[in-house]
Amino acid sequence: MKQATNNEILKIEKLKKYFHIGKDKQGPIYVRAVDGVALNIKYGETLGLVGESGSGKSTIAYTVVGMYRPTSGQILFKGKNIGMEASRRSLSSKKEIQLVFQDPGSSLNPRQTIEQILALPFRIHTQMPKRQFREKMVELLEKLELSSDYLYKSPPSIGGGEKQMVAVARAMASNPSLIVLDEPTSALDVSVQAKIINKLIELQKEMNLSYLFITHDLSLMRNVANRIAIMYLGKICEVAESVTFFEKPLHPYTQMLISSVPVITEEEKNLKPKKVISIGEIPSPVNVPPGCSFHPRCHYKMSICSKIDPEMIEVSPGHIVRCHLFAKLENKK
Amino acid sequence: MRNSNQPNNSIAISLVRPKSIFWLNLGKNWYKFSRNTLSIVGLVIVAGIIISAIFAPWITPYPEHAGPFVDFDNTGQPPSLQHLCGTDNMGRDIFSRIIFAFRGALIMAGVVLALAVPPGVLLGLTAGYFVNTWIDIVIMRITDIFLGLPPLILALVIAAVLKPTLMNAMIAITVIWWSWYTRLVYGMASSVRNEYFVIAADLTGASKFHIIFREILPNCLSPIFTKVALDVGWVILIGASLSFVGLGEQPPIPALGQMVSDGGNYMPTLWWMTIFPSLAIVLVILGFNLMGDGLRDMLETGRE
Amino acid sequence: MKTKENILLDIKDLHVWYRVYGGYLKVLNGVHLMVREGERVGLVGEAGCGKTTTMKSILQILPPGDFHIPQGQIFYKGQDVLKMSFKELQRLRSREIAMIFQDPTTALNPVFTIGTQIGDVIKYSSAFEENEHKETIKGRSIKSLKEVYLPDPERMLINYPLQLSGGMKQRVCIAMAISSPRNLFIADEPGTSLDVTIQDQIMRLLNEVVEKRKTSIILITHSLGVAKEMTDRIYVMYAGTIVETALPEVLFKNPVHPYTKGLLASVPKISGGGIAKGIPGKLPSYLNPPSGCRFQPRCEQESPICSEKPPQLFEIEKDHLVACYLTQR
Repeated sequence: MKQATNNEILKIEKLKKYFHIGKDKQGPIYVRAVDGVALNIKYGETLGLVGESGSGKSTIAYTVVGMYRPTSGQILFKGKNIGMEASRRSLSSKKEIQLVFQDPGSSLNPRQTIEQILALPFRIHTQMPKRQFREKMVELLEKLELSSDYLYKSPPSIGGGEKQMVAVARAMASNPSLIVLDEPTSALDVSVQAKIINKLIELQKEMNLSYLFITHDLSLMRNVANRIAIMYLGKICEVAESVTFFEKPLHPYTQMLISSVPVITEEEKNLKPKKVISIGEIPSPVNVPPGCSFHPRCHYKMSICSKIDPEMIEVSPGHIVRCHLFAKLENKK
Repeated sequence: MRNSNQPNNSIAISLVRPKSIFWLNLGKNWYKFSRNTLSIVGLVIVAGIIISAIFAPWITPYPEHAGPFVDFDNTGQPPSLQHLCGTDNMGRDIFSRIIFAFRGALIMAGVVLALAVPPGVLLGLTAGYFVNTWIDIVIMRITDIFLGLPPLILALVIAAVLKPTLMNAMIAITVIWWSWYTRLVYGMASSVRNEYFVIAADLTGASKFHIIFREILPNCLSPIFTKVALDVGWVILIGASLSFVGLGEQPPIPALGQMVSDGGNYMPTLWWMTIFPSLAIVLVILGFNLMGDGLRDMLETGRE
Repeated sequence: MKTKENILLDIKDLHVWYRVYGGYLKVLNGVHLMVREGERVGLVGEAGCGKTTTMKSILQILPPGDFHIPQGQIFYKGQDVLKMSFKELQRLRSREIAMIFQDPTTALNPVFTIGTQIGDVIKYSSAFEENEHKETIKGRSIKSLKEVYLPDPERMLINYPLQLSGGMKQRVCIAMAISSPRNLFIADEPGTSLDVTIQDQIMRLLNEVVEKRKTSIILITHSLGVAKEMTDRIYVMYAGTIVETALPEVLFKNPVHPYTKGLLASVPKISGGGIAKGIPGKLPSYLNPPSGCRFQPRCEQESPICSEKPPQLFEIEKDHLVACYLTQR
């Protein structure tokens, strides 16, 4: 069993999460939402997790946070194993790891005031007496540029961007060290997104936070994450530093995804891989293609790709890919 | 930038703080309620019934007719200016007796709902929170059994076993009525339970008590209130059915069903003895139904 | 040379109000929009700016009873839609204009097969009667499904929507739109609810379909990248008014209106460079909108006339119009 190194706040090893959805003649049917994933996040880092539907990125987020119990594999947080449901975790790990959901409309109780919403983490995770709550809440809201009268408003009467700010405030109320953000701005407009992302980056430095940032928006990812991991049908395809990821994408799926992003400047257009246009549909996670799960849509497929699932290969320091194209290169070394 | 006079600001904030979201939006809520004129009609009817029931001794023309009273000179008078609904076979003013009958009806509805709703809601919340576990199965199957029992027949059975009084009639209805609320709340609670804001509270370490009563329950209240308003009408109807067959308030205390039944013996000559109490029952149910529709429009628009 | 005869749709000074508690939501405050034959027009704006209201006004599918149009005209082929009779509107909806909705899952009826739904569209677009002796409804359905590259169209006819993926459902919606000849498509954020790689395919398909038929299209989107790649002319909308319109190359190289500038700066780029601060403030209340320029409360520049009356669209160079007093010097 590998130990986490000192500068890793989160280390995920061989994580699998299968959902049992029924039976057929051959036996039980599983959705292999996460199928053998290894990731780590360093202190103070933002790790971006990119993928489309069925990739498993949200499942990883929910497993890290404790909504799901891993089918197998390890999750180490600050060296301690947290691979279990939230109800069985210690209070301190609940305090330290927080989650911001994608849809602000359903992540805040519409029948509560914002004061009540923020009171919950204060009550559970701090020893402050109740009289001090209001002061702290106003401080917290100010950090997110919301005025104190937001305390008495309730979610249905405020806009989507403001609701998401409240969700972020709630996540920060317990003074966590890791925040998992599951597509926090996907439901918001571009100008509102800009505000929130800037706030998140600002507060990360101020409060020494690490982020696990999940999104399908590659252009956002480029400007938010230090390192990016891309997933397809439950497995990681490629992990690289932000700049490398876009300048030298290696995995065919990465190239396909980048070429599908609508861009507005010439500079960006030149960055997009020209030859790899999106084809095919994303298969259902119940019927994962054999071998490398991406091969039916791959422009570079070889005969080995439909038979054997490739291993992760480190092509250069910090840049790993899971693809037979590079296994050959490795063997040649 | 704010100044650092924290204590003053805190006091100012607490003075301005509104009591609850509902009152804060009173104007808006009234607008939603009044979109349909029929809802206002319902509200007027219900208000009229309640007020006249409360102030019955002072506003009815012949309050003493609601007790042991006979006037054989005035029996069987058709509707006139002195007796708006005519008099019955004992010479009693039917209009006044109807108003007094409202009292019994409203009290019965109030007591039955006060006794049936809290346990029903509680069971529904519990089953909803523990959805898909044995607790859910046990609670809901028992609820299903009670939902299958016909209220009227059960009430007759209970009356046959115990004495035919108002109290026992109320018990009979209560014993079944809670199950409707369990079913209603279970439906809402089991879906609210999986909303992200409940999961968020759970993940951050909230207690089960907090989740059930502070997160889930507030999101179930609207249909509960609406159903209570509609149920007043239904309980009164069942109460009238019971008093029609002689269970419930005993003479000389007037009860709507009882009056309808008595009048049946004198049809069609003294038609007003049956028709007016029947119309009163219709009016009560109509009023509460229309108002209930308006309540539903007001409360259940969900996300704004 | 583009002449007046080529103008297909011309919205002039459209105002639309919704009746709510407390008064009226004055959503649209003088919208000007023009589409020529065969042109691809983009309508870009953020949530709540009135894009969907504008589109619903064209087809007159606003919620009945709750809206009010105090002024404005919508000319389609020279005729004012707002004054059309019911029969004329029916003809407009079944023969002239087709709408492709944002979420294909809710745009398709879950209890009917694909074949039934496409068949209905063909039946009710009265162009069918003219061709009745030539092709059957089934034949036309299959032809449309083939055009959108759906595999095995015969089998597709008996499928139900829930058996299809999001991308396939959106293709079906496009097939429904092209099943009979139309002059104008209105595509309301098609593909927003789909994955990026699938959205890309849908956009390319839409482009191909439109080019082949020389149909005009109004593409509503909040993504500037999509607008750039798919349109011949872009309108930028804010709080119920058109603030700027230009050709894509011009708009992105030389944005003039402060809102357009702010919007472009907020878009993250895959080449890096961080994200700008966004635009301070938020959308104005439609219940009590500002009396002058609706962007003025959030604008960094200011002049007294900005709060007096709303600026009109002003041509600062060929085909580039801006509604801002500060550029009219």
